Amino acid sequence: MKFIKTHISLIFPLIAILLGLEFFIVFDRTTNNYEKSLQNGYSMMVVAKDEMSIDDFKAWDKHIEQVIELEKKSILKRLEMDKNAQNKKKFEASLPNFYSLKLDSYLSVSALEKVKSNLKKSDNILNIESFQSAYQSEYELFSFIKLSFSTFIIFMSIIGFFLIVKQMEVWNFLHAQRMKVMEIFGASLFLRSKVLISMALIDAVISALITSVLFYLIQNIWVANSQMQILKENVSEVFAFSDIFILLFAAIVVVMVSIYIVIINVKEE
Amino acid sequence: MSNIITATNLTLSYDKEDEVIKDANFSIKKGDFVFITGPSGSGKSTLLKSFYGSLAVDKGSLVVGGLDMVDIKKEKLQELRTHLGIVFQDYRLINEWTVEKNVVLPLWIAGYSEEVQRTQSERLLHHVKLSGKEKKYPLELSGGEQQRVGVARALAKNPFLILADEPTGNLDDYSSNVIWDLMENACHQLDTTVVVVTHRIPMVFNIPYRHFTIDEQGSVYEVH
Repeated sequence: MKFIKTHISLIFPLIAILLGLEFFIVFDRTTNNYEKSLQNGYSMMVVAKDEMSIDDFKAWDKHIEQVIELEKKSILKRLEMDKNAQNKKKFEASLPNFYSLKLDSYLSVSALEKVKSNLKKSDNILNIESFQSAYQSEYELFSFIKLSFSTFIIFMSIIGFFLIVKQMEVWNFLHAQRMKVMEIFGASLFLRSKVLISMALIDAVISALITSVLFYLIQNIWVANSQMQILKENVSEVFAFSDIFILLFAAIVVVMVSIYIVIINVKEE
Repeated sequence: MSNIITATNLTLSYDKEDEVIKDANFSIKKGDFVFITGPSGSGKSTLLKSFYGSLAVDKGSLVVGGLDMVDIKKEKLQELRTHLGIVFQDYRLINEWTVEKNVVLPLWIAGYSEEVQRTQSERLLHHVKLSGKEKKYPLELSGGEQQRVGVARALAKNPFLILADEPTGNLDDYSSNVIWDLMENACHQLDTTVVVVTHRIPMVFNIPYRHFTIDEQGSVYEVH
Protein backbone atom coordinates (compact mmCIF):
# COMPACT_ATOMS: atom_id res chain seq x y z
CA MET A 1 0.00 0.00 0.00
CA LYS A 2 2.85 2.33 0.95
CA PHE A 3 4.57 1.44 -2.34
CA ILE A 4 1.48 2.29 -4.36
CA LYS A 5 0.97 5.54 -2.45
CA THR A 6 4.58 6.58 -2.98
CA HIS A 7 4.40 5.93 -6.71
CA ILE A 8 0.90 7.24 -7.35
CA SER A 9 1.86 10.61 -5.93
CA LEU A 10 4.34 11.08 -8.77
CA ILE A 11 2.56 9.09 -11.47
CA PHE A 12 -0.64 11.13 -11.16
CA PRO A 13 0.90 14.57 -11.83
CA LEU A 14 3.15 13.08 -14.50
CA ILE A 15 0.14 11.64 -16.32
CA ALA A 16 -1.59 15.04 -16.10
CA ILE A 17 1.41 16.66 -17.78
CA LEU A 18 1.77 13.89 -20.36
CA LEU A 19 -1.95 14.02 -21.18
CA GLY A 20 -1.55 17.74 -21.78
CA LEU A 21 1.44 17.09 -24.02
CA GLU A 22 -0.22 14.26 -25.96
CA PHE A 23 -3.41 16.29 -26.40
CA PHE A 24 -1.24 19.07 -27.78
CA ILE A 25 0.50 16.69 -30.21
CA VAL A 26 -2.78 15.11 -31.35
CA PHE A 27 -4.52 18.46 -31.56
CA ASP A 28 -1.67 19.93 -33.56
CA ARG A 29 -1.68 17.02 -36.00
CA THR A 30 -5.47 16.91 -36.35
CA THR A 31 -5.99 20.64 -36.72
CA ASN A 32 -3.17 20.85 -39.25
CA ASN A 33 -5.04 18.37 -41.41
CA TYR A 34 -8.35 20.08 -40.81
CA GLU A 35 -6.81 23.46 -41.53
CA LYS A 36 -5.35 22.07 -44.74
CA SER A 37 -8.75 20.73 -45.81
CA LEU A 38 -10.39 24.08 -45.04
CA GLN A 39 -7.66 25.81 -46.99
CA ASN A 40 -8.07 23.45 -49.96
CA GLY A 41 -11.84 23.85 -49.92
CA TYR A 42 -11.66 27.61 -50.10
CA SER A 43 -11.16 29.73 -53.22
CA MET A 44 -11.66 33.36 -54.07
CA MET A 45 -13.39 34.41 -57.25
CA VAL A 46 -11.83 37.23 -59.27
CA VAL A 47 -13.11 38.95 -62.40
CA ALA A 48 -10.48 40.64 -64.57
CA LYS A 49 -10.68 42.70 -67.77
CA ASP A 50 -7.59 41.19 -69.39
CA GLU A 51 -5.98 37.82 -68.90
CA MET A 52 -3.78 37.48 -65.84
CA SER A 53 -1.07 34.95 -65.03
CA ILE A 54 -0.21 33.60 -61.56
CA ASP A 55 2.78 35.97 -61.45
CA ASP A 56 0.46 38.92 -62.12
CA PHE A 57 -1.64 37.89 -59.13
CA LYS A 58 1.38 37.20 -56.94
CA ALA A 59 2.69 40.65 -57.73
CA TRP A 60 -0.37 42.03 -55.92
CA ASP A 61 -0.39 39.59 -53.01
CA LYS A 62 2.08 36.90 -51.97
CA HIS A 63 -0.63 34.67 -50.43
CA ILE A 64 -1.93 33.66 -53.87
CA GLU A 65 -0.72 30.13 -54.44
CA GLN A 66 -2.74 28.80 -57.33
CA VAL A 67 -4.81 30.37 -60.10
CA ILE A 68 -7.46 28.47 -62.07
CA GLU A 69 -9.01 30.18 -65.00
CA LEU A 70 -12.72 29.48 -65.40
CA GLU A 71 -13.67 28.72 -68.97
CA LYS A 72 -16.06 31.23 -70.44
CA LYS A 73 -17.98 28.49 -72.25
CA SER A 74 -18.93 26.83 -69.04
CA ILE A 75 -20.05 30.18 -67.63
CA LEU A 76 -22.20 30.76 -70.69
CA LYS A 77 -23.63 27.29 -70.35
CA ARG A 78 -24.58 28.03 -66.79
CA LEU A 79 -26.29 31.21 -67.90
CA GLU A 80 -28.26 29.11 -70.43
CA MET A 81 -28.54 31.96 -72.81
CA ASP A 82 -30.90 31.65 -75.66
CA LYS A 83 -28.85 33.29 -78.35
CA ASN A 84 -27.71 32.36 -81.77
CA ALA A 85 -24.18 31.19 -82.40
CA GLN A 86 -22.92 34.53 -83.71
CA ASN A 87 -24.36 36.49 -80.83
CA LYS A 88 -23.03 33.93 -78.44
CA LYS A 89 -19.50 34.35 -79.83
CA LYS A 90 -19.73 38.12 -79.59
CA PHE A 91 -21.00 37.88 -76.07
CA GLU A 92 -18.22 35.45 -75.17
CA ALA A 93 -15.61 37.82 -76.58
CA SER A 94 -16.99 40.68 -74.54
CA LEU A 95 -17.00 38.68 -71.35
CA PRO A 96 -14.24 39.46 -68.78
CA ASN A 97 -11.90 36.75 -67.44
CA PHE A 98 -12.93 34.69 -64.40
CA TYR A 99 -10.39 33.22 -62.01
CA SER A 100 -10.55 31.02 -58.98
CA LEU A 101 -7.65 31.77 -56.58
CA LYS A 102 -6.29 29.38 -53.98
CA LEU A 103 -4.33 30.77 -51.06
CA ASP A 104 -1.13 29.44 -49.50
CA SER A 105 -2.58 29.11 -45.97
CA TYR A 106 -5.75 29.30 -43.94
CA LEU A 107 -5.81 33.03 -43.34
CA SER A 108 -7.60 34.97 -40.66
CA VAL A 109 -10.57 37.09 -41.71
CA SER A 110 -8.52 40.29 -41.49
CA ALA A 111 -5.69 38.76 -43.53
CA LEU A 112 -8.25 37.67 -46.13
CA GLU A 113 -9.59 41.22 -46.23
CA LYS A 114 -6.04 42.46 -46.78
CA VAL A 115 -5.60 40.07 -49.76
CA LYS A 116 -8.83 41.37 -51.21
CA SER A 117 -7.82 45.01 -50.82
CA ASN A 118 -4.39 44.31 -52.35
CA LEU A 119 -5.98 42.74 -55.41
CA LYS A 120 -8.43 45.63 -55.71
CA LYS A 121 -5.48 47.94 -56.25
CA SER A 122 -5.09 46.40 -59.70
CA ASP A 123 -6.93 48.38 -62.41
CA ASN A 124 -7.33 45.16 -64.35
CA ILE A 125 -9.42 43.50 -61.65
CA LEU A 126 -13.09 44.34 -61.90
CA ASN A 127 -14.57 42.39 -59.05
CA ILE A 128 -13.60 40.05 -56.20
CA GLU A 129 -15.84 37.63 -54.37
CA SER A 130 -14.21 36.32 -51.19
CA PHE A 131 -17.32 34.58 -49.73
CA GLN A 132 -16.35 36.32 -46.51
CA SER A 133 -19.39 35.53 -44.35
CA ALA A 134 -19.12 31.76 -44.88
CA TYR A 135 -15.39 31.97 -44.44
CA GLN A 136 -15.74 34.03 -41.27
CA SER A 137 -18.15 31.63 -39.54
CA GLU A 138 -15.97 28.64 -40.45
CA TYR A 139 -12.81 30.42 -39.32
CA GLU A 140 -14.33 31.55 -36.03
CA LEU A 141 -15.59 28.07 -35.23
CA PHE A 142 -12.16 26.70 -35.98
CA SER A 143 -10.48 29.38 -33.82
CA PHE A 144 -12.90 28.71 -30.98
CA ILE A 145 -12.16 24.96 -31.02
CA LYS A 146 -8.44 25.73 -31.12
CA LEU A 147 -8.68 28.16 -28.20
CA SER A 148 -10.79 25.75 -26.11
CA PHE A 149 -8.31 22.96 -26.60
CA SER A 150 -5.32 25.19 -25.90
CA THR A 151 -6.94 26.40 -22.67
CA PHE A 152 -7.63 22.83 -21.63
CA ILE A 153 -4.04 21.78 -22.40
CA ILE A 154 -2.57 24.74 -20.52
CA PHE A 155 -4.88 24.05 -17.58
CA MET A 156 -3.85 20.38 -17.46
CA SER A 157 -0.17 21.33 -17.61
CA ILE A 158 -0.53 23.90 -14.81
CA ILE A 159 -2.27 21.33 -12.58
CA GLY A 160 0.47 18.83 -13.39
CA PHE A 161 3.15 21.39 -12.66
CA PHE A 162 1.72 22.25 -9.24
CA LEU A 163 1.32 18.60 -8.34
CA ILE A 164 4.96 18.01 -9.30
CA VAL A 165 6.04 20.95 -7.11
CA LYS A 166 4.06 19.39 -4.23
CA GLN A 167 5.76 16.07 -4.95
CA MET A 168 9.15 17.79 -4.82
CA GLU A 169 8.32 19.04 -1.33
CA VAL A 170 7.39 15.48 -0.33
CA TRP A 171 10.65 14.16 -1.80
CA ASN A 172 12.58 16.79 0.08
CA PHE A 173 10.89 15.75 3.31
CA LEU A 174 11.41 12.02 2.69
CA HIS A 175 14.90 11.99 1.23
CA ALA A 176 16.73 15.04 2.59
CA GLN A 177 17.86 13.36 5.81
CA ARG A 178 19.33 10.37 3.97
CA MET A 179 21.04 12.55 1.38
CA LYS A 180 22.57 14.82 4.05
CA VAL A 181 23.96 11.84 5.98
CA MET A 182 25.36 10.31 2.82
CA GLU A 183 26.97 13.61 1.84
CA ILE A 184 28.74 13.80 5.21
CA PHE A 185 30.18 10.34 4.58
CA GLY A 186 31.47 11.38 1.14
CA ALA A 187 28.82 10.00 -1.21
CA SER A 188 28.81 11.51 -4.69
CA LEU A 189 25.81 13.45 -5.98
CA PHE A 190 24.73 10.47 -8.07
CA LEU A 191 24.97 8.03 -5.18
CA ARG A 192 23.03 10.39 -2.90
CA SER A 193 20.20 10.69 -5.38
CA LYS A 194 20.31 7.13 -6.76
CA VAL A 195 17.23 5.98 -4.84
CA LEU A 196 15.25 9.01 -5.93
CA ILE A 197 16.41 8.74 -9.55
CA SER A 198 15.58 5.05 -9.91
CA MET A 199 12.17 5.53 -8.29
CA ALA A 200 11.38 8.52 -10.49
CA LEU A 201 12.54 6.76 -13.67
CA ILE A 202 10.25 3.81 -12.96
CA ASP A 203 7.37 6.25 -12.45
CA ALA A 204 8.26 8.09 -15.65
CA VAL A 205 8.10 4.82 -17.63
CA ILE A 206 4.80 3.81 -15.99
CA SER A 207 3.28 7.26 -16.65
CA ALA A 208 4.35 7.25 -20.30
CA LEU A 209 2.90 3.77 -20.79
CA ILE A 210 -0.41 4.61 -19.08
CA THR A 211 -0.80 7.76 -21.19
CA SER A 212 0.05 5.83 -24.36
CA VAL A 213 -2.47 3.10 -23.53
CA LEU A 214 -5.12 5.75 -22.82
CA PHE A 215 -4.59 7.35 -26.23
CA TYR A 216 -4.45 3.97 -27.94
CA LEU A 217 -7.85 3.16 -26.42
CA ILE A 218 -9.21 6.58 -27.38
CA GLN A 219 -8.07 5.97 -30.95
CA ASN A 220 -9.37 2.44 -31.26
CA ILE A 221 -12.56 2.57 -29.25
CA TRP A 222 -13.84 6.07 -28.76
CA VAL A 223 -12.78 7.73 -32.02
CA ALA A 224 -13.54 4.62 -34.08
CA ASN A 225 -17.13 4.66 -32.81
CA SER A 226 -17.48 8.42 -32.88
CA GLN A 227 -19.99 10.16 -35.17
CA MET A 228 -17.78 13.23 -35.50
CA GLN A 229 -16.54 13.39 -39.06
CA ILE A 230 -13.41 15.37 -38.24
CA LEU A 231 -12.33 12.73 -35.72
CA LYS A 232 -13.13 9.83 -38.01
CA GLU A 233 -11.18 11.40 -40.84
CA ASN A 234 -8.19 11.87 -38.58
CA VAL A 235 -8.32 8.65 -36.58
CA SER A 236 -4.76 7.74 -37.54
CA GLU A 237 -3.57 11.07 -36.14
CA VAL A 238 -4.87 10.39 -32.62
CA PHE A 239 -2.03 8.13 -31.60
CA ALA A 240 1.21 7.15 -33.30
CA PHE A 241 3.73 4.59 -32.07
CA SER A 242 6.44 7.25 -31.98
CA ASP A 243 4.36 9.15 -29.39
CA ILE A 244 5.43 6.60 -26.76
CA PHE A 245 9.02 7.78 -27.12
CA ILE A 246 8.04 11.45 -27.07
CA LEU A 247 6.02 10.88 -23.89
CA LEU A 248 8.79 8.83 -22.29
CA PHE A 249 11.37 11.47 -23.13
CA ALA A 250 9.15 14.24 -21.75
CA ALA A 251 8.43 12.28 -18.55
CA ILE A 252 12.13 11.61 -17.99
CA VAL A 253 13.01 15.27 -18.56
CA VAL A 254 10.31 16.39 -16.09
CA VAL A 255 11.40 13.98 -13.35
CA MET A 256 15.12 14.61 -13.83
CA VAL A 257 14.66 18.39 -13.65
CA SER A 258 12.48 17.97 -10.54
CA ILE A 259 15.05 15.67 -8.90
CA TYR A 260 17.86 18.05 -9.73
CA ILE A 261 15.98 20.93 -8.09
CA VAL A 262 15.35 18.79 -4.99
CA ILE A 263 18.99 17.69 -4.78
CA ILE A 264 20.53 21.13 -5.11
CA ASN A 265 18.18 22.38 -2.40
CA VAL A 266 19.32 19.76 0.11
CA LYS A 267 21.97 21.61 2.08
CA GLU A 268 24.32 19.97 4.53
CA GLU A 269 23.74 21.02 8.13
CA MET B 1 54.68 11.29 14.43
CA SER B 2 52.86 12.93 11.50
CA ASN B 3 50.22 15.58 11.99
CA ILE B 4 46.67 14.59 11.12
CA ILE B 5 45.26 18.08 11.68
CA THR B 6 47.22 21.32 11.57
CA ALA B 7 45.57 24.69 12.14
CA THR B 8 47.51 27.90 11.59
CA ASN B 9 45.90 31.24 12.48
CA LEU B 10 42.58 29.52 11.79
CA THR B 11 39.55 31.80 11.87
CA LEU B 12 36.02 30.51 11.34
CA SER B 13 32.74 32.36 11.05
CA TYR B 14 29.24 31.79 9.76
CA ASP B 15 28.67 35.18 8.18
CA LYS B 16 32.22 36.50 7.71
CA GLU B 17 31.66 39.22 10.32
CA ASP B 18 30.90 37.36 13.53
CA GLU B 19 34.06 35.29 14.08
CA VAL B 20 33.45 32.14 16.12
CA ILE B 21 37.01 30.77 16.21
CA LYS B 22 39.82 33.32 16.17
CA ASP B 23 43.43 32.80 15.18
CA ALA B 24 43.64 29.20 16.39
CA ASN B 25 47.03 27.45 16.21
CA PHE B 26 47.29 23.77 17.07
CA SER B 27 48.19 20.41 15.67
CA ILE B 28 46.81 16.92 16.31
CA LYS B 29 49.06 13.94 15.71
CA LYS B 30 48.31 10.41 14.55
CA GLY B 31 46.94 8.32 17.41
CA ASP B 32 46.04 11.33 19.58
CA PHE B 33 42.83 11.26 21.56
CA VAL B 34 41.66 14.86 21.85
CA PHE B 35 38.84 16.34 23.87
CA ILE B 36 37.60 19.79 22.89
CA THR B 37 35.60 21.49 25.62
CA GLY B 38 34.22 24.96 26.20
CA PRO B 39 31.06 26.81 27.18
CA SER B 40 27.92 26.57 25.06
CA GLY B 41 28.21 28.62 21.90
CA SER B 42 31.99 28.89 22.14
CA GLY B 43 32.45 27.22 18.74
CA LYS B 44 33.34 23.60 19.61
CA SER B 45 31.01 22.10 16.99
CA THR B 46 31.98 24.82 14.52
CA LEU B 47 35.62 23.83 14.84
CA LEU B 48 34.74 20.15 14.36
CA LYS B 49 32.65 20.96 11.28
CA SER B 50 35.65 22.65 9.70
CA PHE B 51 37.62 19.39 10.10
CA TYR B 52 35.25 17.56 7.77
CA GLY B 53 34.73 20.51 5.45
CA SER B 54 31.17 21.29 6.39
CA LEU B 55 32.26 24.83 7.19
CA ALA B 56 34.69 26.75 5.01
CA VAL B 57 37.88 28.25 6.42
CA ASP B 58 37.57 32.00 6.71
CA LYS B 59 41.17 32.99 7.35
CA GLY B 60 44.41 31.16 8.05
CA SER B 61 45.00 27.57 7.08
CA LEU B 62 43.73 24.15 8.05
CA VAL B 63 45.26 20.89 6.85
CA VAL B 64 43.40 17.63 7.49
CA GLY B 65 44.95 14.33 6.47
CA GLY B 66 47.43 16.18 4.29
CA LEU B 67 44.70 18.10 2.43
CA ASP B 68 44.52 21.87 2.53
CA MET B 69 40.94 22.63 3.53
CA VAL B 70 41.10 26.19 2.14
CA ASP B 71 39.33 26.13 -1.24
CA ILE B 72 39.31 22.34 -1.28
CA LYS B 73 37.72 20.86 -4.42
CA LYS B 74 34.41 19.01 -4.02
CA GLU B 75 35.85 15.71 -5.28
CA LYS B 76 38.80 15.92 -2.88
CA LEU B 77 36.48 16.67 0.02
CA GLN B 78 34.29 13.68 -0.87
CA GLU B 79 37.41 11.52 -1.00
CA LEU B 80 38.58 12.81 2.39
CA ARG B 81 35.20 12.17 3.98
CA THR B 82 35.23 8.52 2.92
CA HIS B 83 38.30 8.13 5.20
CA LEU B 84 36.69 9.84 8.21
CA GLY B 85 34.40 8.44 10.87
CA ILE B 86 31.89 10.98 12.11
CA VAL B 87 29.63 10.58 15.15
CA PHE B 88 26.83 13.02 16.01
CA GLN B 89 24.94 13.80 19.19
CA ASP B 90 21.64 13.20 17.34
CA TYR B 91 23.04 9.98 15.77
CA ARG B 92 22.00 10.94 12.20
CA LEU B 93 21.09 7.42 11.19
CA ILE B 94 19.00 6.75 8.12
CA ASN B 95 15.70 5.78 9.66
CA GLU B 96 14.31 3.89 6.65
CA TRP B 97 17.42 1.67 6.50
CA THR B 98 18.07 -1.32 8.73
CA VAL B 99 20.78 -1.22 11.38
CA GLU B 100 23.14 -3.35 9.30
CA LYS B 101 22.67 -1.13 6.24
CA ASN B 102 23.35 1.96 8.35
CA VAL B 103 26.54 0.45 9.75
CA VAL B 104 28.01 -0.33 6.34
CA LEU B 105 27.08 3.01 4.77
CA PRO B 106 30.74 4.07 4.33
CA LEU B 107 31.53 0.72 2.70
CA TRP B 108 28.51 1.01 0.40
CA ILE B 109 29.64 4.50 -0.62
CA ALA B 110 33.14 3.17 -1.32
CA GLY B 111 31.65 0.41 -3.49
CA TYR B 112 32.65 -2.63 -1.42
CA SER B 113 31.01 -5.94 -2.36
CA GLU B 114 27.91 -7.10 -0.51
CA GLU B 115 29.89 -9.98 0.94
CA VAL B 116 32.44 -7.62 2.52
CA GLN B 117 29.63 -5.39 3.76
CA ARG B 118 27.86 -8.33 5.40
CA THR B 119 31.02 -9.61 7.09
CA GLN B 120 31.95 -6.15 8.36
CA SER B 121 28.44 -5.49 9.57
CA GLU B 122 28.46 -8.71 11.63
CA ARG B 123 31.88 -7.93 13.09
CA LEU B 124 31.05 -4.32 13.93
CA LEU B 125 27.67 -5.06 15.44
CA HIS B 126 29.27 -7.75 17.58
CA HIS B 127 31.94 -5.21 18.56
CA VAL B 128 29.33 -2.66 19.69
CA LYS B 129 27.27 -5.41 21.36
CA LEU B 130 24.32 -5.18 19.00
CA SER B 131 24.44 -8.67 17.50
CA GLY B 132 20.94 -9.85 16.62
CA LYS B 133 19.67 -6.35 15.91
CA GLU B 134 20.85 -6.30 12.27
CA LYS B 135 17.37 -6.21 10.79
CA LYS B 136 15.96 -3.66 13.22
CA TYR B 137 15.35 -0.08 12.19
CA PRO B 138 16.98 2.80 14.12
CA LEU B 139 13.70 4.00 15.59
CA GLU B 140 13.17 0.56 17.12
CA LEU B 141 16.34 1.00 19.21
CA SER B 142 17.05 2.98 22.38
CA GLY B 143 19.16 6.17 22.22
CA GLY B 144 22.23 4.36 23.52
CA GLU B 145 21.82 1.59 20.97
CA GLN B 146 21.36 4.09 18.16
CA GLN B 147 24.56 5.83 19.18
CA ARG B 148 26.38 2.51 19.19
CA VAL B 149 25.18 2.02 15.61
CA GLY B 150 26.56 5.50 14.91
CA VAL B 151 29.94 4.53 16.35
CA ALA B 152 29.94 1.22 14.43
CA ARG B 153 29.24 3.20 11.25
CA ALA B 154 32.10 5.55 12.06
CA LEU B 155 34.46 2.58 12.47
CA ALA B 156 33.25 0.68 9.41
CA LYS B 157 35.98 1.70 7.00
CA ASN B 158 38.87 1.87 9.49
CA PRO B 159 39.08 5.68 9.30
CA PHE B 160 42.32 7.49 10.10
CA LEU B 161 40.32 10.11 12.00
CA ILE B 162 37.16 9.89 14.07
CA LEU B 163 35.29 13.14 14.74
CA ALA B 164 32.61 13.01 17.41
CA ASP B 165 30.28 15.87 18.27
CA GLU B 166 28.85 15.40 21.80
CA PRO B 167 28.54 11.62 21.25
CA THR B 168 27.18 11.03 24.77
CA GLY B 169 25.16 14.23 25.05
CA ASN B 170 21.81 12.41 24.93
CA LEU B 171 22.82 9.22 26.74
CA ASP B 172 22.64 7.84 30.26
CA ASP B 173 25.81 6.94 32.19
CA TYR B 174 25.81 3.28 31.19
CA SER B 175 25.44 4.01 27.45
CA SER B 176 27.98 6.83 27.74
CA ASN B 177 30.56 4.46 29.23
CA VAL B 178 29.98 1.98 26.40
CA ILE B 179 30.58 4.72 23.85
CA TRP B 180 33.78 5.93 25.61
CA ASP B 181 35.07 2.35 25.71
CA LEU B 182 34.51 1.98 21.98
CA MET B 183 36.31 5.27 21.29
CA GLU B 184 39.21 4.34 23.57
CA ASN B 185 39.58 0.99 21.84
CA ALA B 186 39.55 2.56 18.39
CA CYS B 187 42.31 4.93 19.42
CA HIS B 188 44.36 2.50 21.46
CA GLN B 189 44.07 -0.66 19.35
CA LEU B 190 43.77 0.75 15.83
CA ASP B 191 45.91 3.85 16.36
CA THR B 192 43.05 5.99 15.02
CA THR B 193 43.10 9.68 15.84
CA VAL B 194 39.95 10.65 17.75
CA VAL B 195 38.67 14.19 18.26
CA VAL B 196 35.69 14.52 20.58
CA VAL B 197 33.72 17.67 21.28
CA THR B 198 32.10 17.41 24.68
CA HIS B 199 30.77 19.45 27.57
CA ARG B 200 32.54 17.33 30.10
CA ILE B 201 35.41 14.88 30.01
CA PRO B 202 34.46 11.45 31.47
CA MET B 203 35.60 10.82 35.04
CA VAL B 204 37.17 7.52 34.16
CA PHE B 205 39.27 7.46 31.05
CA ASN B 206 41.85 4.75 30.57
CA ILE B 207 44.18 6.13 27.92
CA PRO B 208 46.23 9.32 27.73
CA TYR B 209 44.46 12.20 26.05
CA ARG B 210 44.94 15.82 25.09
CA HIS B 211 42.52 18.53 26.08
CA PHE B 212 41.76 21.67 24.09
CA THR B 213 39.40 24.29 25.36
CA ILE B 214 37.74 27.22 23.63
CA ASP B 215 36.97 30.35 25.60
CA GLU B 216 34.03 32.68 25.00
CA GLN B 217 36.16 34.89 22.73
CA GLY B 218 36.79 31.95 20.40
CA SER B 219 40.44 31.39 21.30
CA VAL B 220 41.63 27.77 21.38
CA TYR B 221 44.07 26.69 24.14
CA GLU B 222 45.58 23.36 25.05
CA VAL B 223 45.10 22.54 28.72
CA HIS B 224 48.11 20.79 30.28
